[in-house]
Formats: sequence, C-alpha cells, structure tokens
Amino acid sequence: MKNSTLVFRSLGIIIFLAGLAHLFSFGVDVSDDTPTLTSETPSEPMEQGKVATPAENTETDFLTDQWKVAYNTDDFKGAIIYSIKKEGKVYNAYTHQYEDENGYAEKAEGSKALTITSFNGSKGKGIYNIEYEGKQYEVDCKIAQVDENTFTLSYDYYGYGDVETWKRH
Amino acid sequence: MIDFLAKKLDWLDVHQLFYIFNDLSLFYIIIPFFVLELIRYAYLKRLDKDLVLDSIANVITFGGFFLVEVILGILAITKVYYWVYNNISLPHLELNWATVICCVLLADFAYYWEHRTMHRIGIGWATHTVHHSSPHFNMSVAYRFGPLDAIMPVVFSLPIVMLGFDPILVLLSEVFVQVFQTLLHTEIIGKLTKPIEFIFNTPSHHRVHHGSNRQYWDKNYAGILIIWDRMLGTFEPEKEKVVYGISQPINSVNPIVVFFHGISRFVKKLGQIKGFSNKLLAFLKPPDWMPKQ
Ligand SMILES: [Zn+2]
Ligand SMILES: [Zn+2]
Repeated sequence: MKNSTLVFRSLGIIIFLAGLAHLFSFGVDVSDDTPTLTSETPSEPMEQGKVATPAENTETDFLTDQWKVAYNTDDFKGAIIYSIKKEGKVYNAYTHQYEDENGYAEKAEGSKALTITSFNGSKGKGIYNIEYEGKQYEVDCKIAQVDENTFTLSYDYYGYGDVETWKRH
Repeated sequence: MIDFLAKKLDWLDVHQLFYIFNDLSLFYIIIPFFVLELIRYAYLKRLDKDLVLDSIANVITFGGFFLVEVILGILAITKVYYWVYNNISLPHLELNWATVICCVLLADFAYYWEHRTMHRIGIGWATHTVHHSSPHFNMSVAYRFGPLDAIMPVVFSLPIVMLGFDPILVLLSEVFVQVFQTLLHTEIIGKLTKPIEFIFNTPSHHRVHHGSNRQYWDKNYAGILIIWDRMLGTFEPEKEKVVYGISQPINSVNPIVVFFHGISRFVKKLGQIKGFSNKLLAFLKPPDWMPKQ
C-alpha cells in the first residue's frame, strides 16, 4: 500500500473519530441545552397549577422545607427563598420569594430552580437551572448536607461554577 | 440514542467500569483461562518443563516492564500528558459515552500504529521482539514484554490528548486496549463467527501475528479492531498452521536472556555497522536493514 494512501486513510479515521467526539461534546450538547431551557426568559411565569398544588407537606424529610440562599453577584445581590417539595421520586425546588439587599421581599413566580434526582440523606445529585446571559441552562450539580439546617449545592459548568449554601428558612 | 451518547457521565462511574475490565479481568478471565490452558497442555501431553519455565519467564519480564513503566512512566508521563492537555490541546471534551467510545477507538487506532512501528523500526523491534520470542502461545505470553515497551505508547497517545481527551481517560483506554489484546493469546479458541472475525481482532488473527511462517510476518497489528489492518493493508487470515516465535529463535527460558535479547542483538548489530549516521539510521530503519557497504 502506498504511503500516501496510509496517511490519507489514517487521517480520515482520526478526523472522523475526533470529530464525532467533539460533536457529541459540544455540538449535541449545545443544541441539547437549548431545548431543555426551562423558559426562554426567566421571568416567564410557570403554569399556575404547578405552583398551587403541592401544599400538603406530609413528608418530613431533611430536604422538604423552605431554604434561603444568599447571593452576592453582579447580577443579583440579596437572597432567594426556595421551597423544596418531594414530587414522585425526585425533589423539586421552586422559587418562593426574592429579597433584595435591603431586605425588601417580593413574591417569586414559583419557577422550578432545581431537581434533586438522588439523595441518600447526606449527599445527592441533581440538575440545577442556572441563568446565564438571560438564558437558563440545566447543569449537573451535587448537594451535600452540612448540618441539620444547612446543605451546600455545587456545580461546575465549563469552568463556570459555584458553591451555594442553602439554609433552612 | 443520541441523548444517551451525549449524556454526561460521572468520573467515578467511568473509573469503576474501566476498573472492572482493566484490573479485575485478571481474576475472572485471565487466570481461570490460563489454568484451563494448563489443563489442555497436560491433556495433550505438552505440559513440560520448558513450557512452565517459559511461562514463568513471561511473568518475570512483565515485572521488568512494569518496573520501567513505574520509574520512567507514571510520574513523568502524567505530567507530560497534563502539560499537553493544558497547553496544546483542542477544547477539552466532556465525559459522555460518545467521548469514551471515541477515545477507546482512537487508543485502539494509536495502538495499531504503535505496534506497526515497533515491528518496522530497528529500536522498536529490539524491544518488541521479546513479546514474539516465545515458541508457545498462551495467556502468559501476553505478559511477555521488552524493556522499552512502555515508552512507545506515550508517543502515540499524546496526539489523542491533543485532540481534547482527558489524559486519564486516554490512559485508561490504552490499558483497555492492552487488556483486550491480552485475552487473545490462546490456542483454545478457534475461529469465531464471520462478522466477529471481520470486525474484531480475535485469537485466530493474533495467532497469525505471532507466526514465524514467512507469510505471517508483520501482519495483524490490531488491538481491538482488525478493520484497521484490513484498511491499511496488513491483514492476513489464519490458514497454514502457525509456528510461533521469531525467525532467529532464542532457545532460552532464562528471564534475563529473554528480556534483553532484543537489545543485545541490536547493540551487536550497531557494532557491525560502520559510520555514526548509519548507526543512527539503524534505530529508525526496518530491523532487517543493513547499510550498503
Ligand atoms: Zn507484535
Ligand atoms: Zn501478542
């Protein structure tokens, strides 16, 4: 076999396999992230039904409660109070109330901010909706219990990551 | 399907999967299989002192190879890998099924070329001849390595890191290919079904690779997929009964002789070659090359 044939075939194989990997890593992922946007604009209200229904809180888990998270970013300074509910096998956290730096509170639209897919009592995994340049992305996150009234939520999205402290409200 | 392939994986899970195949297979495949082979040898009345000592020599050469790998390797290799990964690499890939599978296939393809190079350049054959020098063919032969066998894979896998694959994933994939290859060193399994023999490297194909019959020289370099050989013109099916070994047998089961015979033959050859540039060329020219004098 001619050397040039060997080179061309080999390059073809390498480009194909590496291309496929990059496609699945970035191509698919990007187009995969867009459809999973929870809402195009975060201010879009969720369906009324979803917010209203799960009032009866029979579960007395560690997680099912209201949680307060303080933020101090350029976008938002203040705190958000989330309400975590057990729905089926997962826990969902909905925004409940916003507080600005001065303590002025405003009722939140009740959109889903976090889904905890697994939790063993001290550690768990989930999907967190983060907002970036007006769009929401679903990123993998980890949660870990610190004490009875605190857990941390951490995520890393292409180097853009954070650790949040969730305190029982 | 696409969702499945693109779904992000947890490093721990990936590690676990590789561990089950790369490390634990020694206990659930390789050792039981070797015992089976010993029973077969005994049944065929081929279980003699030579075979036992040969197997022991094989395992000892692996110890030598592993020592070199640890001393030269692990520390320096991971540093080099990470330097390349952080400085001269395409955007870093995510960890999902697609990237894991592509990485294993690229490692397999790199293995093909690495193996082909080991056969076709002087210094490569000086170390790789050790693997081929056994007149037997069983699981223990897979562990028969030469002193420099740990070095060449680094050269061939760095480009994979440059393509954006995580260095650890690349290392795990390399070991995966190597372990798959290990499992092929047996006479117990004949030919498998046509589609499998067409796509995958099999015991039959690898027996050919170990053949000293002239038509079997430098054939079937594959690790996991035999299609690389088919695409690049080095495929040869198993027809004639394979005679294992090298063209100039070493006739020794002394692990020291086995481990160093390639290097000592190469050094002897260098002594016969006149001129510094010719001596240098001998490293890179095919093993049977001699300068015209
Ligand atoms: Zn070989
Ligand atoms: Zn072999």
